[in-house]
Amino acid sequence: MIDLIHVTKRFGASTAVDDISLNVARGELCVLVGTSGCGKSTTLRMINRLIEHSEGEIHIDGQQIRAFREETLRRRMGYAIQSTGLFPHWTVARNIGLVPRLLKWPAERIQARVEELMGLLGLSMEEFAGKYPRQLSGGQAQRVGVARALAADPEILLMDEPFGALDPLTRETLQEELRALQSRLHKTIVFVTHDMDEALRLADHLVVMHQGRIVQQGSPLTLLREPADGFVESLLGGEDRGLKEAALLPVSQRMLPLGSRLLACERIGQRASLREALSMMLWRHAERLTVVDDNDQPVGELSLRRLVGARSDD
Amino acid sequence: MTECRRWAAPLVWLALLLAACLGMAQLEGVFRWIEPDSRQVIYARADFLTLLGRHLSVVSVAAVLAILVGVGAAIAVTRERGRDFLPLVSQLASMGQTFPPVAVLALAVPVLGFGTLPIIVALLLYGLLPIVRNTLAGILGIDPAVREAARGMGMNGGQILRQVELPLAAPVILAGIRTSVTINIATAAIGATVGASNLGDPIISGIVNGNTAYVVQGALLIGLLAISVDSLFSRLQPASMR
Repeated sequence: MIDLIHVTKRFGASTAVDDISLNVARGELCVLVGTSGCGKSTTLRMINRLIEHSEGEIHIDGQQIRAFREETLRRRMGYAIQSTGLFPHWTVARNIGLVPRLLKWPAERIQARVEELMGLLGLSMEEFAGKYPRQLSGGQAQRVGVARALAADPEILLMDEPFGALDPLTRETLQEELRALQSRLHKTIVFVTHDMDEALRLADHLVVMHQGRIVQQGSPLTLLREPADGFVESLLGGEDRGLKEAALLPVSQRMLPLGSRLLACERIGQRASLREALSMMLWRHAERLTVVDDNDQPVGELSLRRLVGARSDD
Repeated sequence: MTECRRWAAPLVWLALLLAACLGMAQLEGVFRWIEPDSRQVIYARADFLTLLGRHLSVVSVAAVLAILVGVGAAIAVTRERGRDFLPLVSQLASMGQTFPPVAVLALAVPVLGFGTLPIIVALLLYGLLPIVRNTLAGILGIDPAVREAARGMGMNGGQILRQVELPLAAPVILAGIRTSVTINIATAAIGATVGASNLGDPIISGIVNGNTAYVVQGALLIGLLAISVDSLFSRLQPASMR
């Protein structure tokens, strides 16, 4: 869906992005992660031509992005940024309807779309439609920002640290919502962040950048298990990698079917991560957990030995 | 606040202004006391309402020109292509205000002749700075994220200017226009020295003939006009800017 082929960006004498190649498949959530100044934002902004690339080619759906008029290209892509950039003199509803209005949709269709999106993002129409951005909390404003990016139902969504300025609790909620949204909408998303936990939580495809180059790319688990070099390893948290990996694996992957033994009294859902299971064991001083399904029915059990991946159970 | 009460202050000042124009003769006793030795104490060479009308039209023409030139120049130098001229334009505007209007008149009269034209030029130059400076401040003061988002959403230059930049900068621009017009209402009086007849006439004539009563009449009317216009502008600005 999005192809970057040997793309380079120079600002004067300095090279911000150095010969990177990247393919984002349709429906994939690709996260660009790296320290500040590594070129991840520049890369994102080259895709919608807020920054023009110096060398190489960028293709959308097989077509060179320079074949489109800039405005046409941008209206095809949703764009959400950290500081939201909501227009302070417009109401929430009008802000969300921006791109459809630019595309000259009829008024009723815009109205219907705005209502639909506010529902999707959990913003009640009565409460928020007439409010101005300054009346919103950080989390609400960012929801409006995401709704605005989704307004014209673009296939591609570009997100530049959209949750970077939020408190940890709100950030996690919005990350959950984005995952849930993505599992329904299947957009092609390029997401920039410097927060590795956020990157691991969201990414289908993780791209680590350093000094304008792509150091490594692949699935989050691949990167955790086989980091290409010391930089990727330290970015992934060094000694913490075990916990980060555990956070990506569901309990159901390591549990054993129910045996003849008595059920352990501590219960955990089968969708919970191994990290949560480990935390529960530590907290409750338990070596075994009963795994339950969504209806709270026992479906298996998980022991500490199984959890840490030892070959055989006792 | 109800609509009526919002407009109460400017209406009161306007009423006072009109009353002063029409009823100056009623105050003859007061002016006689100021100037007991003069034969005539009420300026009568032209009627005050006519002078007021001329004064207003000179200031209005100068204001419209200053707005067109000032806002236009400020918009031009905040575009991508005009950025290089930004320091030049803000300096030119500052120079326009440091240049005394009297000097502009002295230089303009030989070129443009006596009458209304030189005073319009002088007022235009004098009134540019507040407009240029405030328009620049208003546009440059917009949160860069807003402009970035506007561009990223696919708005073109004209749409960003009309739908985002101008509405957001409007209160600051309006404040600049208000300052410019109010200053120029007072400054326009010097036009009387070069034959542009307006509310400056009684003042100049009073100074020349040593008649303080005339000076007071002109000054009173100009003051009332400036206050009326200023209070009208304050109604136009949103509450947060007042």
